[in-house]
Amino acid sequence: MGLLDPINLLYLLSLAVLVAIYLRARARPTLEVSSLLLFEEAPAPLARARRLHTDLLFWLEVVALGALSLAIAGLYMRVPQPPAHLRRHALIFDRAAAMGAREGASTRLDLARRQALRIVSAAPAGDQFSVIAYALETELVRASSGDRGAVRAAIASLQPRAVAARPAALSAALMRARAADDIELFSDRLPAGVLPAGLGGRLHFHQVGSTDNNLALVSLDPGEVGSRRGHLVVHNFSAQPRLCALSIECEGRAVARPTLMLAPHGQAVESFGPITWGGLVHARIETPDALAADNQRWAYLPGGRASNVLLISPDPAVRDDLARVLLAVDESARITALDPARLSSLRPGPPPDLVVMHDFYDPRIRAPARLLVFSAPAGALRLARTVALSELEQTERAGTLARPLALGPARVLALPDSMEVLARGSAPGGDEPVALAAAGRDARGRLGVIAFDLRGHLLLDPDRTEVLLLTIEIARRLLAPEALEMVSTGDYLSLPARGPIRVRLPDGTTIERLAGRSGTARIRALEAGLYETEAGGRAGVVLANYYDAAESDLTVKPMAVRAAGAGRPGPAVGLLPGRVRPLGTALTAVGLLALLLSSVLMLWREARRGGWRHV
Amino acid sequence: MLEARAFEPEFLNRLDRLILGVKRARTSRIGPRTVGRVQGIGIEIENFRDYVAGDDLRFLDWNAVGRLDQLYVRTYRAEREIELSVLIDTSASMGAPPADDKLGLALALAAAIAYVGMSESDAVRLVAFGLRRGKLALTPTAFHRRRESYAGLRPFVTGVRCGGETRLAAAVEQLLAARRQPGLTVLISDFLVNATDYEDALSRLLAARHEVKVMHVMGERESRGALAPGLYRLRDSESGQLRDFSASAATAEACRRRVAQLAARLRDFCSQHGVMYLPAFGAGNLEEIINGEFPRLGVIR
Repeated sequence: MGLLDPINLLYLLSLAVLVAIYLRARARPTLEVSSLLLFEEAPAPLARARRLHTDLLFWLEVVALGALSLAIAGLYMRVPQPPAHLRRHALIFDRAAAMGAREGASTRLDLARRQALRIVSAAPAGDQFSVIAYALETELVRASSGDRGAVRAAIASLQPRAVAARPAALSAALMRARAADDIELFSDRLPAGVLPAGLGGRLHFHQVGSTDNNLALVSLDPGEVGSRRGHLVVHNFSAQPRLCALSIECEGRAVARPTLMLAPHGQAVESFGPITWGGLVHARIETPDALAADNQRWAYLPGGRASNVLLISPDPAVRDDLARVLLAVDESARITALDPARLSSLRPGPPPDLVVMHDFYDPRIRAPARLLVFSAPAGALRLARTVALSELEQTERAGTLARPLALGPARVLALPDSMEVLARGSAPGGDEPVALAAAGRDARGRLGVIAFDLRGHLLLDPDRTEVLLLTIEIARRLLAPEALEMVSTGDYLSLPARGPIRVRLPDGTTIERLAGRSGTARIRALEAGLYETEAGGRAGVVLANYYDAAESDLTVKPMAVRAAGAGRPGPAVGLLPGRVRPLGTALTAVGLLALLLSSVLMLWREARRGGWRHV
Repeated sequence: MLEARAFEPEFLNRLDRLILGVKRARTSRIGPRTVGRVQGIGIEIENFRDYVAGDDLRFLDWNAVGRLDQLYVRTYRAEREIELSVLIDTSASMGAPPADDKLGLALALAAAIAYVGMSESDAVRLVAFGLRRGKLALTPTAFHRRRESYAGLRPFVTGVRCGGETRLAAAVEQLLAARRQPGLTVLISDFLVNATDYEDALSRLLAARHEVKVMHVMGERESRGALAPGLYRLRDSESGQLRDFSASAATAEACRRRVAQLAARLRDFCSQHGVMYLPAFGAGNLEEIINGEFPRLGVIR
């Protein structure tokens, strides 16, 4: 039994009103008689005290009011689902990075697995188990099953991810397990405010882990080739001072091997270099600690050869603004700025690494990467129309803007599916969203598009910094090495491909994906390290770095949730298993029947009373 | 309400055959004497008889003397002149309980008696009495002698409302203060007063040489004590006095006994003092009362 809306029990106060009414009126109605002489022979009532006379009419009205109040409050009964003796268990595992922390010879996830396996073994035959894991997202590893072997296999297959656990993912996992009779949650921490009300005694929290010995690399700045020193930030999450041996390499060649003494919960910045050669910089902590995922980082140091950029625009102000942005992205870049009218003065030579064309397009200019700003149609791009005004409404980075950003003229281009739209907006004369910025590839190589005009120092307008950020993002993509991408764990990797793409994960396993309509395959980097891609004979490298301050802090704080192994109380109200059968209709019928009977009784009594007047 | 029936043609048709009998009456010239088929002053010849010495020569039939040469005396039906006053109790007790419609029954009976009385061209009036704002109010109609004027009673009959306390003796005293010649007085009431009050009232009427008839009106429900079982607070309609009362079958029986006791005492008093007593219990029994009880009252066919 339970109440869907207990607040409506306040309607039961009507019973008190009913009692008051009966005390006031029904208990002793006053009748006007012709003369008391007629009643002199009748004996006086024994009890003169004022009391409630509870006759049949009163009880009928009590039944009516009570039944209707309970119907409004949503009284229901839960019908147990047969067979009643079987219990359903949900095993929920935290598999965020911290669960990979070592506790002696095993990890926290191993400890959780062992506890879970004990529960599975101790459960009576017939009980069913589901296995749910969560970190960034919730995953149903094994649906509810009575097959103990499959359940054990599912538990054994769990591996920690190099990502932080999201409270929303835990909430989703608990929601998935809401039908279970027992919910076993295995984690080293429990975010506050995540547990939904009503789980009550069904949730059994198994807290695992005890160590706090962890050092983490917070960030890695490789510096600049031959000119600026790099920096490495290291944090000690332990309550004890820790010795930290570091190793910094670039393209396999040692750069530095410093050893630091870090204070408890202290942080240090280690400088190195400057490195005189470019390539992949790899920093790692040599000192063993509990969590390995945050012990190494990668960064890319552009090589010795500076990028050549050709910047063509009829507007000198735009040339100047774009050059500043490009230098901010790659300060070693060599930029040649030209007016289209003086293009003939360009001396022949090797093609530039990037060509930026503003309000101009010449298909004869070849480069592995092109950025078209407010450009005429180029190659596969078809010009739909040119509008005098446009508004930026949505970017991939910031999502939907709180207020549309007014832009100047824009050229509405038909973009191929292989390009990823980075910004959308609107333009007069059309209801469809307009692509205002995009990046991707076409048959001639990498291509970036900014559809709106940048005249009037739009890039430097402090009120429209979103335009600057958008331009930097596209420039960064076009200037980065084509075969190397740096991401953070948890990010999605957009891998360009035509057909199947094979990805070798950091743990050595290889997966295969098919590119979608956009010509890219998306995978999520859940492990830190090197992702090697291969598609159509072309190889690429993605490096995923992991760091999360909350997750790397392994300090275990005992949670005020029921300890594992405690008694199994009865199911909590509101989330009991079984079918809920509302009694509203039946209660309403009872109430109406009681009202009907009371009306009949009143009429009958009135007929019997026959004309005596109530005063 | 029931009083409206007193003016329905069907009701009146049944009354057409009735006449009001009186024991004593006062002729205008001869003085008090028994009313009947007796010689008296009038214009309607009753009979002829032989002349005997001492007869008034004014009644000698001279035409018979001329034709037959015998002395015959004409006898005339006496012209009676009776003042009929119907006193109607309009106290608050006549209105309780409302469903009993005691006042309606009383007014219907009063109108019926008045109608019957008009058949003999008696002077008939209705008098309502009751306490109004602490003062006794006696509300009489004008005297009506002919049935053609019966309809003139209608505004009075339908306009009477009950209220106030019952003061029978005071009402009779005020009635007699007018010093009219004695006549027939019909008193209609529920007599739910102290016995001394109605005894005093009836005694005063008798002392004033009125012929008195009493109609005891009671409601059907109150005479049966018909109350649903339960605890009640009873309020006297006239005095406002309150009393707790637990209704049951036993108390209903006690009420019936009490009603019978009150009626018996009134009837005994009436029989001891030559007052005609007529019980009129229940407004639904109007027809039976007129057909069965009116003859006892002296209303004869």
